[in-house]
Formats: sequence, structure tokens, C-alpha cells
Amino acid sequence: MYDKSIPFEAKIRWIKKETRDTATYAFKITSREIERAYRFIPGQFNMLYMPGIGEAAISISSAPSDHDLTHTIRVAGDVTTAISRLDTGDVLGIRGPFGNGWPLEEIEERDLMIIAGGVGIAPLRSVIRHILNDRTEPRHVKGVRGGKISSPARIILYGSKTPKDIIFRDEFPRYRDAFQTFLTVDKADPEEYWRGDIGLITGMWNKTSFNPLNTVVFMCGPEVMMQSMVKELILKGVPGEKIFISIERNMNCGMGICGHCFFGPKFVCKDGPVFRFTDIEGFLGIKEI
Amino acid sequence: MTITKIKKDHLRLIFDRLKDSYKLVGPRVENDVIVLTEMDFHDIPAGYKDLHGKGVYRLSGNKDSNTFSFSLGPDSFKRFLSPPVREIFAFKKSKKGISANVSSKEEKPTAFIGMRACDISALKLYDKVFLEGPVRDTGYDSLKRNSLIIAVNCLYPNGNCFCDSLGTGPEVRDGFDLAITEIQDSFLLETGSSKGSEILNGLTIEEVSDKEMDEKNSRTEDCKKTIKRHIKVNDLPWVIYRNPEHPRWTDVASRCLACGNCTQVCPTCFCNSSYDRLELSGISKKSREISGNKVRAWDSCFSKNFARVHGGNFRPSRRARYRHWMTHKLAYWIEQFGSPGCVGCGRCITWCPVGIDITEELEAIRK
Ligand SMILES: Cc1cc2nc3c(=O)[nH]c(=O)nc-3n(C[C@H](O)[C@H](O)[C@H](O)COP(=O)(O)OP(=O)(O)OC[C@H]3O[C@@H](n4cnc5c(N)ncnc54)[C@H](O)[C@@H]3O)c2cc1C
Ligand code: SF4
Ligand code: SF4
Repeated sequence: MYDKSIPFEAKIRWIKKETRDTATYAFKITSREIERAYRFIPGQFNMLYMPGIGEAAISISSAPSDHDLTHTIRVAGDVTTAISRLDTGDVLGIRGPFGNGWPLEEIEERDLMIIAGGVGIAPLRSVIRHILNDRTEPRHVKGVRGGKISSPARIILYGSKTPKDIIFRDEFPRYRDAFQTFLTVDKADPEEYWRGDIGLITGMWNKTSFNPLNTVVFMCGPEVMMQSMVKELILKGVPGEKIFISIERNMNCGMGICGHCFFGPKFVCKDGPVFRFTDIEGFLGIKEI
Repeated sequence: MTITKIKKDHLRLIFDRLKDSYKLVGPRVENDVIVLTEMDFHDIPAGYKDLHGKGVYRLSGNKDSNTFSFSLGPDSFKRFLSPPVREIFAFKKSKKGISANVSSKEEKPTAFIGMRACDISALKLYDKVFLEGPVRDTGYDSLKRNSLIIAVNCLYPNGNCFCDSLGTGPEVRDGFDLAITEIQDSFLLETGSSKGSEILNGLTIEEVSDKEMDEKNSRTEDCKKTIKRHIKVNDLPWVIYRNPEHPRWTDVASRCLACGNCTQVCPTCFCNSSYDRLELSGISKKSREISGNKVRAWDSCFSKNFARVHGGNFRPSRRARYRHWMTHKLAYWIEQFGSPGCVGCGRCITWCPVGIDITEELEAIRK
């Protein structure tokens, strides 16, 4: 094993611009040895390192079964701006993977509802692609589009600011192979062609039909959005134990020794970033926790 | 564990012996304060008495014929095992790529002299943080592994000690190599490891009589009786969890300066920040090279930007930051690591410039 407190080098293989402030980067780990030892599960993150500038916690947006390791990064401050100036062939440092990841065992036999807001779709794309990659084989064997009759339902609800801010827009048609997808935007320019919904993600219930008692929810997005979504989900009858949310806090070390990322008694970096709602429920409403 | 004794003037011999293979770190007086630094036998602040109150510390010298009459200063041993500023790696970025290298200096192992029961308990908590997490901290590991702990049993607690309430002192029970108890005419020595017994090889050690054992026990009992400060722990962590909006948090926030002193002196506080340190000489525009090092430095949850993220700060108010600190100490720790993050050393009470007392604040939250 390599030492996760020391960054290793990775080279950018390609860059795909997603929106005006967000791009997806594919990385190739330079060291063969580390590349072979590097394993992750959807929902985990890496600390991306720009020498002389700093590190940023960024979720892995590809699935373990994907060919490329990707990160989808929105420009925020120092580190993310510096990364946005890189080109194909440039290198940066990576430490990781860190965190617990999504509990995939929970969705083996249950319906899955993915709820994402903004760049919060990044760690969920990993799950989406994991499911897509996984199902290709049996689908071909059986020749049935949509998988086995009894296969669990898969739903994606995704909210963005405007149609221009939708990340992975070009991939959504493919997502529809396995998922019912619902897109919404806060507002859309009248000039812009937009067939989807306008309004909060919380307003989309009437469109979806799902069985709350059999549904597992994976959610990532702004904390206010997640809080109101959780409330609604519980009102609809989804058990709190089946709601998983990915939380964001200041990350410095990524490995449980710096104290920056506390959410109540939880280290977001090592106990999270994915939490079962009922495990953190008591702390969610407390201001400045 | 075996117990033996040496004559008082033989303690020096132990120091002489340790010096061959260890760097000695222990108490010494500097600027009227007992600090922990590299030291030798003659540096022990023998006879000194330190007076502690809320935001009060006074040191008075040579009033006592005892060697270990003093108690704790602001430093704890975390200063040496997880130094205030430490290089994690040196980096270099050039056309060829990025490299990060850990420099491995062969250092002489350290013998920590005069560690008290509370600090040994704190060290066990540090082990949980730095060694038992998802990534073992190699720096701490190597410093700790080769070190030697010479403990001292406390007989004269200071006014802010409350280890007894937490079961972390005043007597050392384990986690040491050698433990010293000072009685009238000699030092009783308990060995806690084979390294500890090796130190005694060849010294004139004597058997301990029943009378001397009684003296040790009664002195320890007396010590416990002189501990004036107490903290009730049976309702932790719940009493704190139930009261996130207690008016006392606002009250303490009006007194707290958010200076972070309490976190710097606390032997269990471990919060830190890592950042890149660049020197001008490390930047070459022409060859597009930069080099520098990544350092990890002590930080504090009282720092204004400690919980800042892009677009906001999770704990902008002082109220939230004090609440976070105390809640971490007395509640979160229990969930995170199995025991409170306070060992009752009282340092945060002594060194708080405005005399905020964690035991009093907890009591107030209960009301
Ligand atoms: C588990 C996790 C996963 C994330 N995944 C993604 C992702 O896939 N894509 C993406 O675009 N963003 C993601 N973020 C947010 C991303 O970490 C921040 O936008 C980024 O750290 C900002 O760094 P900066 O240097 O550009 O900003 P600055 O404001 O200059 O930040 C300076 C430093 O503050 C800290 N910091 C600032 N903002 C945050 C923040 N929001 N979260 C944590 N630490 C912060 C970091 O240590 C950073 O280096 C994730 C955050 C977390 C905690
Ligand atoms: S919280 Fe205060 S009394 Fe408790 S261990 Fe830390 S410094 Fe000592
Ligand atoms: S409690 Fe005292 S020592 Fe701690 S930050 Fe506040 S003023 Fe400083």
C-alpha cells in the first residue's frame, strides 16, 4: 500500500467542459504500482493537490468499473481555480481515496432514488455509472430492455440553477436506459429551449411514482436543499434509516486527524461523507454545529 | 510490575545513564514558568511550588526540600510527539512532474521525564487519534515508538487539577516505562516495561519495606484529598447534547476571547492545519519550477476560519466555537474515541486569560 498522507502524481488525460464553471477531468495515475493498488467505491473522494497552492476535497465522479478516473470540479476558490487553468498532459497531486462511500449493499434489492443539486451530482454519477456498467451484461444476455421485470426501480431527481448549469447533460439520455430521470432548474431564460421543469426539486413529487417503503435515497447537494428534501421524504413515508446524504465540511487532512470537518461528533472525512440520516438527525437542525 | 527503591541522590545516575541513548525532555524553569524542554538532572525545578487559579499562575522557588514538589506547566508532551510545526513532505514541481518526498532523519529517541498521570492518559488518547484512524500517522508513530516515559506520581496537585473525577490520575497505572514516587528518604521506582527495568540494571536498588509502601499509599491518598476541583461525568455526553441552545453558551461567549490558549495548552487537543510553505528561492519563473514543503501546524477550533468553506463559515460566532470546543471535549470524544477528551489537567483553566473554567461551565449547563 502507498502512504495516503503523501500525494502521488496524476496526469490529465482529457478535460471536458460541462458548464461555464465546471469541468470533468480524467486522470492517469503515473505510478503503475499505485495505479494497481488504487481502489475506490462510489461516493469516496480524493484530495487534489496543486503544489504551492493547496488541496481540495473532490468526489470521484467515475465508477470503479469505468476506464478513466474522473473528477468533476466547479471553480470555487484558490485550488479549484488553479486546476481550471490546467491543460491535458499537465499533472497534479492526489491523495486518497478517502471517506466511506455510498452503501451499495442497501440498493441491491430495493428501489433507488438519487437526488442531486448542482455539483452534488458528481459523487452520484459514480453510482449511476456503476449501475449502468453493471447492467449491460445481463441486459444483452436476456435481450430485455430495462432489465429483469423484477429489477428494482431507479430514479434520478436533479436540480440546477439554469439549463446551462446542468452537469453531464449529454449523458442523461444514456441514464434513461436504467433510470427515470427528472430534471429541474430554478429558472430558465425564455429564449432558451427547455423542456424540463422549472422550480424547486421538492416540487417534483407529483411526477414520480415510487414506493416509499421500498425506496433507498442517496442525496447530495446544498445542505438547505437536503434538509427540506429529507423532511418531505419522511412525510411521504420513506424510512429515515433508508435516506443517505453526503455532507460537505471544510477538509484539510482527509484522514481524521485535523479536526476541521466535524459535523457534531462525526468526522465527515472518515465517518462520512455519506451518512445515514438517522445517525445525524439530532445535529442537522442545530445552527452553527 | 515490580517496585524497588533508590536513595534520593541516586536519581542523578538514572539521568546519566539515559543520556547515552536518549534526548532528555522534561521540566525546567524558563521566564518564571515551568516549561518542557531538553534538560538534565540539575534542571529539575526541585523545591518549586506553582500556584494555579483561574487565569492565574505563580511560581515560587526553593521553599521545599522535595524534588517533585511542583506540578504542571503550560506545555504538555504533545509538543514533542506532534510538534507545533512539522514538515510532512518536501515537494517539487517542474517540467518533469511533481514529486513529494518524506525526509527521514535518524533522530535520537526521546526520554520524557516527569510525565504525570493526566498526561499519560492524554497520550493514550493521542494514540487513538494518530495511530488508530484510517491512516496511521508515521511521524507520530516513529517519535512515539522509540520514546521512553519516566513518570512521576503526583503528590501535590495544583488548584486546577481534577484528574480524580475522570479517573485519569493522580496515580499512574500503566503506559510508562518507569514511574517515580517520592517519599521522605527515597524514590520508589515501579517498572512498567522491560525498557524500564533495563535502566535500573547495575544501579544499587533496594527492596521496599511495608512501611514505605504504606507511606506511598498514604501520600497518594492525601494527594487525592487535596484535589479541590471536581467535575461530574455520569450524565455525559447527554447533558451537553440536550442543551445546544442553553443561555450559558451566550454568556461564556461574552467572556471568551477566542484566543485559543485553551486548545494550545490542552494535552488532548489535536486540531491542526496543513499548508504549503513556499520560499522565494523555491520559485523559478524561468525554469517554471517551484519547490517548498508541506507543513502541519497546530491550529484551533477557535480560529475564525477553522470551519470555513467556499461560500460560508459553519461556526462564525464565538458562541458556536466555544460550544464546539467544550462539546468536543466532554461529549463528542466519548462517541469518537470511547472516553472524554478531557483528562482533568486543569491547564485550560490556568492559561485562559479571562479565567474561564470548564468545570464551572459544565455545571452551569446542567442548571
Ligand atoms: C467530501 C467532499 C466532496 C466534494 N466534492 C466536490 C466535487 O466533486 N466537485 C467540486 O467541485 N467540489 C467538491 N467539493 C467542494 C470542494 O472541496 C471545494 O469547493 C474546494 O475545497 C474549494 O477549494 P478552493 O481552494 O478552490 O477554495 P478556497 O475558498 O480558496 O478554499 C481554501 C481551502 O478551504 C477549504 N475549503 C473551502 N471550501 C470547501 C468546501 N466547500 N468543502 C471543503 N473544504 C473547503 C479547503 O481546504 C480549501 O483548500 C467537495 C467537498 C467535500 C467536503
Ligand atoms: S480540557 Fe482543560 S482540563 Fe481537560 S485536558 Fe484539556 S486542558 Fe486539561
Ligand atoms: S476559553 Fe479562554 S483560553 Fe479558550 S479561547 Fe476562550 S478566552 Fe481563550
